[in-house]
Amino acid sequence: MKKELNFEINILPILDILSVLICFLLLTAVWVQIGTLDTRQALGDNSVNGAVNPPSLWIGVATNGTLKISLRDVKSVSGSQDAIVNSSGSGIDWKAFNQKIDSLHLQIPELKTVVISPEAKANYGDVIRLMDQLKQKQLTDIGLSPLG
Amino acid sequence: MLKSSVLKNSSQKSPLSAMQTIGSIGKTSEKRQSSSLAVALPLTSLIDAFSIIVIYLLIGTQSATVEPKISGQLQLPVAEAGQQLTDEMPIVRIEKGVYFVDDEAVSVAQLGNKLASLKQKLQKDDIQIMIQADQKMNYADLDPLLRAGSAAGIQKLKFAVIPNK
Repeated sequence: MKKELNFEINILPILDILSVLICFLLLTAVWVQIGTLDTRQALGDNSVNGAVNPPSLWIGVATNGTLKISLRDVKSVSGSQDAIVNSSGSGIDWKAFNQKIDSLHLQIPELKTVVISPEAKANYGDVIRLMDQLKQKQLTDIGLSPLG
Repeated sequence: MLKSSVLKNSSQKSPLSAMQTIGSIGKTSEKRQSSSLAVALPLTSLIDAFSIIVIYLLIGTQSATVEPKISGQLQLPVAEAGQQLTDEMPIVRIEKGVYFVDDEAVSVAQLGNKLASLKQKLQKDDIQIMIQADQKMNYADLDPLLRAGSAAGIQKLKFAVIPNK
């Protein structure tokens, strides 16, 4: 008697399983990824008498996008390093700001602390972008100042 | 009663049945093709397509990170230096000047107390909160939250952003 060596695979159940799997994955998929920009806010009890403050960069953000940059507690640089980055007309002039930060970072490599002090009508998206640019320049300790 | 039904004379063989198996014998498939006039679906290529979709969904859309809820009304700012979320944390949402702490609307006057009670509830000294706000919002809307956070002793604030890859 001749034995049948060939066989057939039923592929419909496989198709069913794949369909169910696709539905499950579509329902449970994470489509929008969220990231975070971290800040560390100063608290009232942080300051200790006699403590040496690290060099810090203070950035004031005006409503029209003008940035006022000043340095505090920096001893290695002589002369005033205060600067104003004028608005580009439609907001912050990011190119000029990045150039200024690059030059400051070259002069003061130990600079890590930044305090951003925006005006009340300053755009939140601009403040976040400012923080993003600073983080990319390795200025990692960023704090936000409340309105004065 | 009807003695002869239309259904009785109709074909009881599905076109799928001819193609539902992958066989190595050429004869059977040829035989089935000749007996059925219906167009058979190419199931093998369908399985290939489904497999690719499954692999794409498994790799592309799953992640080990936490998935926080985002309100559809908020347009989060975009950032390149954003970090991935690794822990669950309280979410403070600012929507049109209204503050929501974990989806519960809180007035500005009660914000400090709410954050302080949240800190007490979590029993952690260095708790961190995530702030979700629209990119077109004014900084003045964020200010009460900063003050309330400082009053409650919360140092670490995480601003929710959409990572720009």
